[in-house]
Amino acid sequence: MSVEINGLTAGYGSAMVLHDISVEIGAGRICALIGHNGSGKTTLMRCINGLLKPSKGKITVSGRDVSRMRRNEMARLISLVPQGGHSPFQFTSLEMVLMGGATRVKPWASPCAVERRLAADVCREVGVFELADTPFNTLSGGQKQLVMLARALYQNAPVMLLDEPNSHLDFSNQHKTMGLMRRFVKERGVTALISLHDPNLALSYADDAVLLKQGRVVAAGPAAEVMDDEHLREAIGGNLMLDRTVSGVRVVVPRDINGNG
Amino acid sequence: MRLSIRKSLILLCVGGFLLALLASLSMGRYPIGLPELARLILPHLGLGGYVGPAPSEMQMVFWNIRVPRILMSIAVGSGISIAGVVFQALFRNPLAAPDILGVTAGSCFGAALSIMFFTRMALGVQGFAFAFGVFAVSIAYLLAERSWDRSTSVLVITGIVVSAVFQAGVSILMYLADPYDQLAKIVFWIMGSFHVASWAKVQVTLPVVVVGSVLLGLFGWRLNIMTQSEEEALSLGVDVFRWRMFYVVTSTLIVASSVAAVGTISWVGLIVPHIARYLVGTEHRRLIPTAAFVGGGFLLVMDTVARTISASEIPISIITSLIGAPFLGYLVMRRRRNGCADVG
Repeated sequence: MSVEINGLTAGYGSAMVLHDISVEIGAGRICALIGHNGSGKTTLMRCINGLLKPSKGKITVSGRDVSRMRRNEMARLISLVPQGGHSPFQFTSLEMVLMGGATRVKPWASPCAVERRLAADVCREVGVFELADTPFNTLSGGQKQLVMLARALYQNAPVMLLDEPNSHLDFSNQHKTMGLMRRFVKERGVTALISLHDPNLALSYADDAVLLKQGRVVAAGPAAEVMDDEHLREAIGGNLMLDRTVSGVRVVVPRDINGNG
Repeated sequence: MRLSIRKSLILLCVGGFLLALLASLSMGRYPIGLPELARLILPHLGLGGYVGPAPSEMQMVFWNIRVPRILMSIAVGSGISIAGVVFQALFRNPLAAPDILGVTAGSCFGAALSIMFFTRMALGVQGFAFAFGVFAVSIAYLLAERSWDRSTSVLVITGIVVSAVFQAGVSILMYLADPYDQLAKIVFWIMGSFHVASWAKVQVTLPVVVVGSVLLGLFGWRLNIMTQSEEEALSLGVDVFRWRMFYVVTSTLIVASSVAAVGTISWVGLIVPHIARYLVGTEHRRLIPTAAFVGGGFLLVMDTVARTISASEIPISIITSLIGAPFLGYLVMRRRRNGCADVG
């Protein structure tokens, strides 16, 4: 399912964070959202997920206006993997994942055996099945992130929003998460919007990229095309450049490691 | 291993509850032995042929004083404990208590008002206490709804504000009260006691507590999601604001009807959810019935202690505070060691 954003302006009170954003995220693709802290990545995700009402503009998912959807309708279309992940109470990992099935469970019921099996299958796919009975709060940052990813996948929405999923992860877990997303996009045909700080992850795993600066789109399109020196400099900083490794892989590196660029 | 320990603890609790029930039926200023208990109960089960009838004085004490009192203590303990579980989940805070939105302060004000000015009204102290308890929470809720920020932290603040105002109201009424009559009545009401329990009160309180508890138990799984951040719960498809209202209204009715019947019951709604969480974990579909069972048993034991430990009856809140406050201290110490908010 595609996500279309037309002329979106949004913010908090009188302080506008996003200004006239127009972007289309293609169905079955990974789109990386890249920009500084405060560039509006999380605000854009909140608008798409209906958590923040835009001042102007419209967001549609496969032609359906998200502002007219009820919460459970929206949850059937869009799932969210939040930053970090903490529960004030000691739920097990499986109990956390099962919460993803809220739209399928009647309000007066609890998940049936079929739902539990489905949740266990998703845990197995993501690689956290062994942690099913482990208290969520005792997991490492990387494990928590994977459990939250499992919950979003179990929610089974065609559009997934991942808000800085790598912010607390080590190098290997960052690639594990992104690799899993790549696999799920291919196997399940979901559309994923992932906010990232590391442009190299976007170059490696994303089909498309949207570069944001101070709430405005600097560039949007296929990641390989829009992530050039000029756009990266504008969106992330002047000290970066695009280079190639000896094996031909494109990487973003500092122009001058002494910071004189 | 952990599971088998929990199962043993649950079995121990069930056994303890039955033992406490038996002890509570038997103990009191008018002791009733086991053979007499059989003579009192069996005829009502159609087995009167096997035992002779109990003396009429004993029948009167047992059926008109002790049984309604025991029923009331179990119902109030269960109801307040369930409300504690719900409020801790809603406010995402294991140290939240059911009176966080001002229901107890409102009820105390209503009771004091009735004792001082409306002694002859049909509504009575119980009616006034119930109405003002619900009124206090309604004000806290409406104030929070008018705020641009609809998070639970605003609701906590408005609850504190409303509680403070009604507590000030109670202080004013106590200041104005006749020290030889009204003041003592107000103070004893606030300290809470089950000696006022009667069939009439059971008939009014029990349906509200039972229906409310069953509803909260049925919709227990949703509470798991309500413990997540507001944005997460909304993203999972739960209309947080609508469900919060349902849980607050139902819990408030339970607490207001309980407090209105027997006065303030301190600490039970705070500590019982932790004991229940230790027994069965945090999953609310299991936690709510467990809290009801543990809470009912806990208050039954506390009331039995309150009416048997000394020649004159001790207000129930003194006993529950003496046990509850050290327990909270223990929880805080444990929380510091674990570095985890979930102290249960």
